Amino acid sequence: MLISCNKLKSHIKNPEDIDWLNIWDTFTLRTAEVEKVTVKGDTFDNVVVGEIKECIPHPNSDHMHILQVDYGDKEPIQVVCGANNVRVGLKTAYIKVGGHIDGMEIKARPLRGILSNGMCCSGRELGISDDHNGIIEAPDDWVVGTDIKDYLPVRDIIVEIDNKSLTNRPDLWGHYGIAREICAITNHELLPLDILEIENNKEDLNIVIKDDNLCYRYTGLKIDNIKNNKTPLEMQIFLFYVGMRSISLLVDLTNVLMMELGTPMHAFDARVVKNIEVGLANEGDIYTTLDGVERSLTSDMLMIKNGDQYFGIAGVMGGLDSEILPDTTSIFLESACFNAASIRRTATNLGLRTEASARYEKSLDPNMTDLAIKRLAYLLKEQNPDMVIASNLTDIYPRKLKEEQIILDKKTLSIYMGRTLEDEEVKNILEKLGFKVKIENNYYDVTVPTFRATKDIKIKEDLIEEIARIYGLENFIPKPLKLDLTVKEHETIFNQEYEVKRLLAEKYNMHEVHSYIWYDTDLLKELNIEKDNIKILGKETNNILRDDLSLSLMNIVRENFKNYANFKIFEIGTVINNNSNKRVLSIILTDKETNLENIYNEAKNIVKYIFKVLKNKEVTFTNNVNELPYYNDTLGKMINVDENKIGQINVLTKSCTNKLSKKKAIVTIDIDFDKYVTLPKEEILSKEISKYPEVELDYTIILEDKKYEDLKEVLKTFLSKLIRSYRLVEVYENKYMIRYTLGSDFKTLEQKDLQTFKDRFIKHIKDNGLKIIE
Amino acid sequence: MEEKLSKLKEELKEKLATATKEADILNIKSEYVGKKSEISSILSSLKDMSIEDKKKYGSLINNTKKEMEDLVTARLEELENESEITFDDTVDFELVTGSLHPVTIIAHEITDILKRMGFTVVSGPEMESEYYNFEALNVPKDHPARDMQDTYFLDNGMVLRTQTSDNQIHAMENFGAPLRICAPGRVFRNEDLDANHENTFYQIEGMVIDKGVTIENLLYVMQNLLKEVFHEDVKVRLRPGFFPFTEPSYEMDMSCLICGGKGCPTCKNSGWIEMVGSGMVHPNVLRAGGINPEEYTGFAFGFGLTRLAMMKYKINDIRVLNSGNIRYLKEFNLK
Repeated sequence: MLISCNKLKSHIKNPEDIDWLNIWDTFTLRTAEVEKVTVKGDTFDNVVVGEIKECIPHPNSDHMHILQVDYGDKEPIQVVCGANNVRVGLKTAYIKVGGHIDGMEIKARPLRGILSNGMCCSGRELGISDDHNGIIEAPDDWVVGTDIKDYLPVRDIIVEIDNKSLTNRPDLWGHYGIAREICAITNHELLPLDILEIENNKEDLNIVIKDDNLCYRYTGLKIDNIKNNKTPLEMQIFLFYVGMRSISLLVDLTNVLMMELGTPMHAFDARVVKNIEVGLANEGDIYTTLDGVERSLTSDMLMIKNGDQYFGIAGVMGGLDSEILPDTTSIFLESACFNAASIRRTATNLGLRTEASARYEKSLDPNMTDLAIKRLAYLLKEQNPDMVIASNLTDIYPRKLKEEQIILDKKTLSIYMGRTLEDEEVKNILEKLGFKVKIENNYYDVTVPTFRATKDIKIKEDLIEEIARIYGLENFIPKPLKLDLTVKEHETIFNQEYEVKRLLAEKYNMHEVHSYIWYDTDLLKELNIEKDNIKILGKETNNILRDDLSLSLMNIVRENFKNYANFKIFEIGTVINNNSNKRVLSIILTDKETNLENIYNEAKNIVKYIFKVLKNKEVTFTNNVNELPYYNDTLGKMINVDENKIGQINVLTKSCTNKLSKKKAIVTIDIDFDKYVTLPKEEILSKEISKYPEVELDYTIILEDKKYEDLKEVLKTFLSKLIRSYRLVEVYENKYMIRYTLGSDFKTLEQKDLQTFKDRFIKHIKDNGLKIIE
Repeated sequence: MEEKLSKLKEELKEKLATATKEADILNIKSEYVGKKSEISSILSSLKDMSIEDKKKYGSLINNTKKEMEDLVTARLEELENESEITFDDTVDFELVTGSLHPVTIIAHEITDILKRMGFTVVSGPEMESEYYNFEALNVPKDHPARDMQDTYFLDNGMVLRTQTSDNQIHAMENFGAPLRICAPGRVFRNEDLDANHENTFYQIEGMVIDKGVTIENLLYVMQNLLKEVFHEDVKVRLRPGFFPFTEPSYEMDMSCLICGGKGCPTCKNSGWIEMVGSGMVHPNVLRAGGINPEEYTGFAFGFGLTRLAMMKYKINDIRVLNSGNIRYLKEFNLK
């Protein structure tokens, strides 16, 4: 929102005490964020009041004129002008030779063969309005030769305030509210507004509110005999500076009021107004708004109706037939207050956010409507002394918003502030902001003005906020929390996640990735995978929440295949399973197709390593009964810890893999991280070791049509007191090398002990139908 | 005899000096000091000698044998130490490392600092009920934040959480007062993607509840947190803000690190960068967490971890963070 400091000054007593250029840094700290401060009026100089003394058509042009302009010098000067409103006697803005506009120097130069000494200017040329219909028409009483900056408020400081930081402050959507804040910040006095008091000795207007939950108040007034509909120059400049277009006095005045008090208003041509009714639209009706767009209405949209016809969308935009016309002399003024949420919904659903709706959706104070009308009438009368009030100030206000009281105890205030303030300081701050304060022994009895009560001031903490910010947040000093050595409840999820991530990145050179919680639905389609899970409403694609983290990582896998033939990635993320959140660790190993065996075995080792190193747990693998069609149904293992399933290893099917990249292998590991987190870490206990040395013996066994799984069963049944441990150390084609570690607690093993062991072992292998290399 | 022995010794010396392989030396060893060597037979002939000769030559023979054995051992050791391994010591392979996600690194760093201030790290669900995401946080039904366009609503009546503040309620319910928690986590907003906007990003939430907690404690925690993160003497300032779950609410700005507070395009010439949403916990939120606001006060804060990671690592396109592109992410080595 743009704020004019000239306007603010008009609402404040002794405004010259305030440094208007630098107050805004403080305003940012006290009230709302200021985005930009612009100084206006420096873009031109040497522009004075000039009077056209002579006006003859230009011989070489169909629209230009040759003027003799009196600008206060001894003789009038010759100026060529192309504007169509030139005439003898007109006083206008004349820029002298040597003057500047936007850094450009004005020189005497011929225009179509006739010398022009300087130039007569339009409002747009001077950058003080967007009027370019002709040169400026100054009032007759302006003195020729005077700098126009002496007459017009051209010099101004325009401040842009971040709208978002005003979301919660309906009272700050107009200059008067901002002026009140400035008064509180600088300890100045806010001036009351000049208004026109209206005697209610005429007829009431016919106004009905059908739904007082959606329309809190509707105030109307009819004014006749408006002859002057021309906006004074200073009002044009103000509107231009704050970003509004000047149209006509009546329209401009409603905008001035909106910029002043934050209250949107409407002026209807009184000739078309029969009776006003505020009520809901009929579902499906079509209505054309002021901007000429046809809008489809729904039954929850609040409308202003005139007779039986729609007259405007309440709080959003009027219609075509209610517009002020050039010959309008009688108006019906509307000043109303609507339900904020209803206006916001209507504006959102219509895709039509207007200056009015933006203000209404902030929850405006209904007690402002009559003030706004009286203020507008006052300003209108200044331009139309003969205007006639033609009706009572008709005010439909079914449920009056009353001022509320809040008790603020001094103890709470001191705790929040970390200090105790003087009663008078508290009282002064709040009163400057419009509150009324009674000081009691232990508390303050505070009356909240209704312009603050509609939205942000409800409880004592809200008052503390007011006091703290005006007191000055920069006066607070960082203070450490008190020492507290209580042992707190502890949650280890974050740490455990970090531990695993770090291990995977450090030991296995893996890369951590982050992906989305929903499936890439295009990818699912491409891979021919159907998924049914919780969906996001109102979205057509990427709308299915993932239930398989590894699968959801496949588009990341595809992207990386473009640059790498093999890589390892992982994520710890959330999946939605059976309607609830689950944390999962997913690891994906990729390589050329021919290396599937390597990465498959690596996957098992990674899993074993994680559990051994971080949980001191042994992992077992069992065959996976895979129901998911996109994973290979013969390869794949369940991961078990303490006999409970905690995850699985899978191989993506060839058909899916080929869609991601040709001749590749993709192995996935998924570990239920919720279970992982709750898994206790096995205590490490030291083991007694024999004082006699141990011996290692290697045997190579040949498996034909059998798997290591079968060999394991055979090895399990071979028993000997000498066995300390045995393990698979190498696989070459169908040859499996097993290494036994033998030892005794009572003696050093001798050759004959080893020979006996060897003979027994070879016999055992052979008896079980396997071959062994002797 | 003496002559004979010294000759044997000299012979051995000569042979050892020319031998350069371990096997040769072992052969020489068996030839000169082995069982069938001359000195061994001389030694064994000692028993047939006269007592006089035994006395005369016994120790000499033994000593000579010992000396010869030592010569062999010394030469063997010499050879072992001579055999240096040589290789191309200028070979230089490219370093291969894994990587952690930048957000993981920054989350770890921040939680680490907060843990030093006594905070417990907690986590909450990404799919959240409207109660925890809105109601309990004092966001009433008709609040703009609950509009369809900001929030991902789900067909089971839940939402993808829009901020990590749901952790405030979970933590109060789980631990009660007094309380000191922080909660990094992922949040979701229905936004179109561009270089600065993501629909999925990370925040961290912090909450402290105790008797007599003040705005000044909040200021301390934030100032020191940012100081530690950026390893610079950053300044912070509070401005009035508005959040439904805090009252009073504050925007916290950090002095711009690019220009040092003088004003530059990054900070829009203000010298300050908006970093943290914060405030004193709203009494309604305390009540929702089962804590009596007449007895306890608290503060809460939240800020974008993703944004912080981008600032710290100078990442200029937010989209790379969820791209999984290893070429980009591999730079973020372990921390």
